[in-house]
Amino acid sequence: MTTTPTPRFQVGDQVTVRDATTMFHTRTQGYVRGHTGTVTEHRPAWIVPEDEAFGIIENGRYTPFYVVRFKQTDLWPDYTGFEVDTLETECSELWLEPAGKEKK
Amino acid sequence: MSTTHSHAPLKESPLTEFEVLELAVRELAIEKGLFSADDHRRFAEWAESRTYTVGSRMVARSWLDPAFKERLLRDGTETSKEVGVDWLQPTGQGTPSDYTYFYVLENTPKLHNVIVCTLCSCYPRPVLGMSPDWYRTPNYRRRMVRWPRQVLAEFGLHLPPDVEVRVHDSNQKSRFMVMPMRPEGTEGWSEDQLAAIVTRDCLIGVALPRADVTASQVPKQPKGRNGGNKR
Repeated sequence: MTTTPTPRFQVGDQVTVRDATTMFHTRTQGYVRGHTGTVTEHRPAWIVPEDEAFGIIENGRYTPFYVVRFKQTDLWPDYTGFEVDTLETECSELWLEPAGKEKK
Repeated sequence: MSTTHSHAPLKESPLTEFEVLELAVRELAIEKGLFSADDHRRFAEWAESRTYTVGSRMVARSWLDPAFKERLLRDGTETSKEVGVDWLQPTGQGTPSDYTYFYVLENTPKLHNVIVCTLCSCYPRPVLGMSPDWYRTPNYRRRMVRWPRQVLAEFGLHLPPDVEVRVHDSNQKSRFMVMPMRPEGTEGWSEDQLAAIVTRDCLIGVALPRADVTASQVPKQPKGRNGGNKR
């Protein structure tokens, strides 16, 4: 975890959260998986929770993190609020793909 | 069955899995000498004495001091030190689990922010203290991301359709606090006066500050109930 990895995604990029399953600890919520949003900010890189939770720090996967903004109407097909409403959350690079690559 | 007094029997609810785990780890740590029972008690006492007034202070100062506001929005972690909060070493011990980033979310006439943690109950404790009970309930956590406007309405907050409601699900290392807009009727107020109307719920984003409401004043009896409740 000595070198800071170069972020694969830039602010403004459309990204899709991988629709992967997890066996143990993750911080990627089920409700964002398979959904597409926009990168709005970079966050400092750190060890992905999947490794950190088990104390794998030295050899843990140290990746960039991102703030991803979703339109609520994209997350929930029957969203009852308004078109302008959004939700932001953070994802490690491990969980993100360029939009369109992920098959839902 | 005969007892000397009529109190209901003292019933303890069963411990949850996590409470058992915490007790076991704590006792082991004490036995191993990592910290003492008194250290633990002091930490708990310290942690529980933090309150949202730090957050209120930050917002009030931001309303009065544009340079402070700019610093706070740009680097919340660093700027917190100006009001005596060190996120990296809140205890002075600097344990790795204390490691977090702090971001302040500014409301605008077209944007309303609100915070939740769907995964557990992440909360910016160094500046807001302990979270309210409802913030930790599965009900708030699952519904705020799914039906935010309905949940806000249940708190009495109705926002117009052209105001974007932005929910922040704090699922990683970041912690968030909402910076509400300064309400009308507060012109010429001091920092102390302003801080008094920035209540906890305004900093979570389920309420808006009002010039006539402070957290310490007893809410008036609603007129429609109990016929005015004359005593």
